[in-house]
Amino acid sequence: MATSPALDVPVEPPSKRQKMSSEPEFSSSPAPVADLAEQLDAQERKMYVKGKKIGSGQYADVFSAHLVSDLKRLVAIKKIKVGAEAKEFGISYDSLREIRFLQELDHPNIIKLYSVFSTKSQNLNLVLEYLPQGDLLKLVQDTTNISYTPADIKSWMLMLMRATYFCHQNFVLHRDIKPNNLLIAANGEIKLADFGLARSFADPFQVMTYNTVTIWYRPPELFFQAQFYGGGVDVWSCGCVFAELVARDVLFRALPENEINMVKLICEKVGTPTEDNWPGVSKLKGYVTPSEYIPIRSKDQWMMAFRAIGETGVDLLMKMLTLDPRKRLNAEQVLKHSFWTDEPRPSRLEDLPRKGGGVVAMGEELTKMGGEIPYGKARGDKVARKIDFGA
Amino acid sequence: MAHSLTEDDIYRTSTQYRLWSFSPESLAAVRRKTHSLAIERALQYGAASILTAHESLRLIQRYSSLLLTTATHLAFPAPVKATAVQFLRRFYLSNSVLTYPPKEIYKTVLYLACKVEGTHMGLAEFARRISTEGEQVLAGEYKVMQALRFTLEVRQPFRGLKGVLMEMLNGAEGRVGVIDGLEDGRGVAETMRSLPGPGDGDRTKWTPPADGSVGMRHVQDRIQSAYSAARILLETPASLTDVYFLYTPSQLLLAALQLADSPLTSFYLSTKLAIESPARPKILATISSCADMLASFDQSQVLTKDERAELEAKLEKCRDPGTKDLVESFAAMRQDGSGEDGLEDEKAKKRKGAREKHEREGEDLFGPSLGANNG
Ligand SMILES: Nc1ncnc2c1ncn2[C@@H]1O[C@H](COP(=O)(O)OP(=O)(O)O)[C@@H](O)[C@H]1O
Repeated sequence: MATSPALDVPVEPPSKRQKMSSEPEFSSSPAPVADLAEQLDAQERKMYVKGKKIGSGQYADVFSAHLVSDLKRLVAIKKIKVGAEAKEFGISYDSLREIRFLQELDHPNIIKLYSVFSTKSQNLNLVLEYLPQGDLLKLVQDTTNISYTPADIKSWMLMLMRATYFCHQNFVLHRDIKPNNLLIAANGEIKLADFGLARSFADPFQVMTYNTVTIWYRPPELFFQAQFYGGGVDVWSCGCVFAELVARDVLFRALPENEINMVKLICEKVGTPTEDNWPGVSKLKGYVTPSEYIPIRSKDQWMMAFRAIGETGVDLLMKMLTLDPRKRLNAEQVLKHSFWTDEPRPSRLEDLPRKGGGVVAMGEELTKMGGEIPYGKARGDKVARKIDFGA
Repeated sequence: MAHSLTEDDIYRTSTQYRLWSFSPESLAAVRRKTHSLAIERALQYGAASILTAHESLRLIQRYSSLLLTTATHLAFPAPVKATAVQFLRRFYLSNSVLTYPPKEIYKTVLYLACKVEGTHMGLAEFARRISTEGEQVLAGEYKVMQALRFTLEVRQPFRGLKGVLMEMLNGAEGRVGVIDGLEDGRGVAETMRSLPGPGDGDRTKWTPPADGSVGMRHVQDRIQSAYSAARILLETPASLTDVYFLYTPSQLLLAALQLADSPLTSFYLSTKLAIESPARPKILATISSCADMLASFDQSQVLTKDERAELEAKLEKCRDPGTKDLVESFAAMRQDGSGEDGLEDEKAKKRKGAREKHEREGEDLFGPSLGANNG
């Protein structure tokens, strides 16, 4: 084997490996001046007052917070937990992906990342748009208190599809679209969140081995281990969300949740993938289907279960849940479908159902504030003034 | 041809455009500022002879080059290389080599780039293959994240270049008809066959057939050769000059293509930019100046091993003692941090009743109030 070019680098001088004594070695040296990046980081950090913990996820704790300069400007601060795996590979892939993509994506239906800062203890903190109304899953599941109409579904789906289309235009695949990753803003808007699994279209193929993530929204090409996949992955997941909103039940609820059961369910509900409906499918590495062949489900059959969204709605749903990813509509085609302009018109934000009780009141208060914090602009100005970064 | 330049509109929303794009003057100003801060500090800790700004830049270039060879050695794909190099170069816009010598930081940025681009390699293996310790690799990670201002995306010209390749091949193969604005209404494929051959200095390896009769095959070869030559320019010279700071990915790829095969690129541009378009002169001038910068790069400008050793010996004498042991200070901060954070939570509980008052006073759980920071 060739020697690593890194060997070309001189070894560390022994003095560098010595531990620093508690007495500062260079007692005459002045307190270090913060470098530009440190100053910016500190500036960012000092803009917020952290409030109480409002949630805890797998790899982060979430706190409510507000701007020092304005008590009414609420944000959510997601503090990345430093787990045991930090020793193994440092900052986790999930956190890096979330930061990478959210920093680039600025869209009304994608959760906004206002900024990131670190604390002295080297914790990463993501300052996010405050979304106090829970997620879409909660609404779908609360069948006793929440009822909604086809126009509401259309409105939510339209927001979801706009977010998805925007991601794809920016060459980002979300890969984990599901109702609990669709958060609801105070003004009723849907916000696509949780980009921990996202990746760029340009990345080399990587088999997804995330056991903790639900597989109910995954498309067939991933179960068959297609070498190349694209935006169709997200469109399938959106189709699953669409169906779930209508039926108020997960479309492909495989139990136990494993890949074999998922493929079985997809065959039952959509049809068995074959060379006829999906040329090349039988050559995919992971291609297996149940022995019983099930023909592609007809529109009439779909209509029986999803009549609520009408014939155009069903037409769109079927095209989003097409087995062959090349025949499946892409996000742009979904948005061009006549479903959106057909009657009924999508509900206005203020007419969308909310979680009940006091939260609604709070939500209304926030809406009155005007919803959005014109933050990005303020930040840019501030930076420019402070250190002439780019002046 | 379908490829449009609207990708530029999306580009304008990217962090690369918003935070990491400069005019030549503003780039020089940022570097000057960083260097003078470092000198100020060096004078305080009493360094003897201080590395000049120019020497610092050459050291950074040398390590950019080392990143490319190391990443190649580790079989990392092109996006990891480009990302790592840009991370390094962005890092040194706000940090001086006197404070954080590249000998340490380059390991950190390479591993970070590898993670960001979704290339999986365990830390232990990575460290072993570059003959270091895992903790050395991670020690600077937060420092690097901070200097990158927590933006991790490096927009690259490779995908765009591939798109242009496909478009030109489609044109050559007659899958595109007549394009508005081409003076005579000949088909694209025919026009491409009758283009003049590459210019003298062009980097492409392609030459027209001896008998002068250029067929579709020849045009396809020509396009492929131009693509390969452009790709080479985008991998090395683009990484070892300031072009990423000064130009957009589409300007970069068009500049590389122009250096590869100028008549072919001019033709391609004519299909994109109407002759009468008011923006045309400016766009062409930008592409040309980018091409000049790429062309001016010469591998012999990169420090040799001995020159680098010499500079690093000099650096050792003026480097900031306060940041000497990254591994140690990383561990210390962690320690401090967990204590500090634990305490904060405790305090936070106790203060629950008094919270409002504290908040009015602007007491922030992360540190002193904004008022104290308004300097
Ligand atoms: N932007 C936000 N605004 C308000 N609450 C949030 C926000 N983000 C997350 N939360 C709350 O914090 C919890 C944990 O968030 P997160 O770490 O993203 O969860 P998960 O691991 O479930 O994806 C969520 O269930 C939610 O209650």
